[in-house]
Amino acid sequence: MKNEILWSLRLGFSTEQSKTIEKLGIEGFLKQSFGAPYNTTVPDLLNDSPKTFEDFKAIRKIKKEDPEKSKELIKKESQTLHELKAWWIEQIISNDFPLREKMTLFWHNHFVTSSQKVKVNYWLFQNNQLYREEAFGNFRTLTKKVLQTNAMVRYLDNTDNKKGKSNENLSRELLELFTLGIGNYSEIDIKNGAKGLAGLGLGIDGAKYHPFYEDNDPIEYLGKKGVLKMNEMVDAIFDHPKIPYLLTKKIFQWFIYDQPKEELIHYYGNYFKKVNFEIKPLLVKIFTEEFAKKETAGAKIKNPLEYSLELVDELHIENPNINALVLFLRQQGMDLFNQPNVKGWDGGNSWLTSQIYLQRNNLADLLCNGRNFNRQKSPAENNIPKKQSVTVSLEWNPNENNKEIIKELTDRTLFAVDKSSQEDFEKILKYDFDPKSPGANNAVLRLFNAIVKSPEFQII
Amino acid sequence: MNRRNFLSLTGTFTAGSLILPDFLHAFGTQNNLVIGDQCVVFVQLNGGNDGLNTYIPFQDELYYKSRPTIALSKEEVIAGNNGMAFHPSLKDFATMQQNGDLSVIQNVGYANPVRSHFRSQEIWQTAPTNQEYLNQGWLGRYLDFQCNDHEPTAGINIDSIDNLALKGEEPNSITVKDPDRFTTKQTTDNSEQLSGNPQLDFVRKIANSVVEGSDAIQDALKKSTASEVNYTKNGLSKNLEWIARLIKGNLHSKVYYTSMGGFDTHDNQLAIHQNRLKELNDAVFSFYNDLKKAQLLSNVTIVVFSEFGRRVADNGRGTDHGTAAPMFIIGGNNQGKVIGSNPNLSDLDKGDLIHQIDFRSVYASLLEQKLNFSANKIGIKNSPLKGLF
Repeated sequence: MKNEILWSLRLGFSTEQSKTIEKLGIEGFLKQSFGAPYNTTVPDLLNDSPKTFEDFKAIRKIKKEDPEKSKELIKKESQTLHELKAWWIEQIISNDFPLREKMTLFWHNHFVTSSQKVKVNYWLFQNNQLYREEAFGNFRTLTKKVLQTNAMVRYLDNTDNKKGKSNENLSRELLELFTLGIGNYSEIDIKNGAKGLAGLGLGIDGAKYHPFYEDNDPIEYLGKKGVLKMNEMVDAIFDHPKIPYLLTKKIFQWFIYDQPKEELIHYYGNYFKKVNFEIKPLLVKIFTEEFAKKETAGAKIKNPLEYSLELVDELHIENPNINALVLFLRQQGMDLFNQPNVKGWDGGNSWLTSQIYLQRNNLADLLCNGRNFNRQKSPAENNIPKKQSVTVSLEWNPNENNKEIIKELTDRTLFAVDKSSQEDFEKILKYDFDPKSPGANNAVLRLFNAIVKSPEFQII
Repeated sequence: MNRRNFLSLTGTFTAGSLILPDFLHAFGTQNNLVIGDQCVVFVQLNGGNDGLNTYIPFQDELYYKSRPTIALSKEEVIAGNNGMAFHPSLKDFATMQQNGDLSVIQNVGYANPVRSHFRSQEIWQTAPTNQEYLNQGWLGRYLDFQCNDHEPTAGINIDSIDNLALKGEEPNSITVKDPDRFTTKQTTDNSEQLSGNPQLDFVRKIANSVVEGSDAIQDALKKSTASEVNYTKNGLSKNLEWIARLIKGNLHSKVYYTSMGGFDTHDNQLAIHQNRLKELNDAVFSFYNDLKKAQLLSNVTIVVFSEFGRRVADNGRGTDHGTAAPMFIIGGNNQGKVIGSNPNLSDLDKGDLIHQIDFRSVYASLLEQKLNFSANKIGIKNSPLKGLF
């Protein structure tokens, strides 16, 4: 696998950017990615979704007075959430420089605010858009901004955190999962942090302190003393010597290695601190230096989105059923806006179980056979030849022989091809395979189908 | 697939269909009365098996004239009858023939034969009418009709890759890479060859544990009785022994498919071919005995075939790609005959035999007489071969 192809997969969701990387070099490519335009508008699907306190009040009234209509509203919002997921996938697919969306997903899975608890779709969207805007921004700034979102204070129960009746959830996760990581703070820091955050609750344009519930007593927090509020607390966190490493490690795991070496995390973490927690220079340094290293492929298990979008791209499927893709992701344990808990998707080996692997293979079979994501067939349709629902086409060179075609395909799909896989592939395309025959394309598709079902395809 | 329907549909006498009540299963041990699951086991000989040196026209002088270096002498060949005899490696094929359990179908092929392995296998596996290019296999199309919803174990393919013959609209068949993983599931986990890449090792381990329908298979293996037959140690034996266990464990699969390679004998044919046929002979005969002891031979039809035969004249040390060749049908209450005339070595097309029996008529016969299915539903227009069952 060529380096440009590997890095197109790592920094996006397909091999589509490999030519651009080749043309611009990795640094040029990153620069373009940072500056590429992206959607900043509120999608129409949220037009009727409640956004303001007036809207919520009206809903509360309906819920009390009209249980039937209330059910309808709940159903409608769950439909809206589904559309929001589909909308996001559209953003991901349509962007020529998907690095921003991949980074948005990263933040989405770092500063988790799941729909399990956050029932206001507009808030979920606001956080999503914040992660998109700040994708390449500053870690410290983003941390502060996230604390000021309604989704976060709602998700981690800070709405219940009041002077004299504290709730430590947000205070704890702020240190444990969002910034320093376990072992780098004390339980007293958590308690005092909750005091500092007391009264930070829902607001019109985002979370804000409600003076009546605030706790303005001086606290000691990570060695800093005084009346510390949200922003001062974050500053105290970012003065802690351990601050750069957790995020650096997670960036490595998201893009490159499931198990990054400690010395890498330290090396790049120290740099992250030096550049004052700016994301751009960190990404540039990691990606260019790791790009220059040889033989780094085969270190990360693809997440379901990387897996499925690569197939869609390779097969040039113009009209993938995005709604069904949303459901596929859920089956695969990557339901957007709905991580199982505040830790987010664990990634790495936890992406795969035998059930999930089987679903992936089934999807590969479906798509390679020109059928769309959903394969539910009604009983009435049984025994009726199924019409192809998507047009698939694969890029390959009919002037090549069987081995060259195998190489062409595996070069852009597999990080490694061992002897037994090669033998299997040559069983499908034999030495006397005629690439000019009318059935050649189907045969190459069968080869591709076998390739993408091999264990190696699960890994980049 | 609705398993019950499937069962009842295929509970047949040798001619015509009859839905049988359960108690009649007791008759299953009687000769000539076939009750219960029928299945077909395909053994594909990859590379183009040399038919003329497998089932040999040992009384035809043209045979010796065309093959000065690789012909088998009248003294070597065995079980000669009506001008044809078996390769000495196939002594148990001769036994099965003598028992009346083996039919030979001579000169099987198709019009406008293709001498490319790739394309000819594709033709055998898809069974097109006029060599049009099909993307679904003939057995896959059959299973699509037979199975209501998808039924992962309706077809079992033992190979490292999926088989085009079984490819249909729905995934009604599974590919099992290594039967050993099923028989000793608990103990193989540590024997995995490590690649040095922890991610890859992890995914491989998962991949090996993944077979849709593996529960059904495990279940059949548990129910199955151990073989009373000692299979010789070779690849095909291992696969057939495993298939026997599934059949004995009532897996209810309709189609089993496995293959062995090494038949592309352009060079050093005598030695290679002898070894290959010996492996084939030993494996199939063990399988045959196993089924016979379990009183299942009448329910299981074994089909041995290759994508083409080989050139009549030898090339000095071997043979090049040819056309028609014999097929062997074992078990399934076949009539134990030799069907078709002996190969005509005086009337050749560019040095190759001219086929007399179309392979699709054999398929039609298997579908209609063994699987109770109308072959033209899946586009096979040839009428069933007469005299086989």
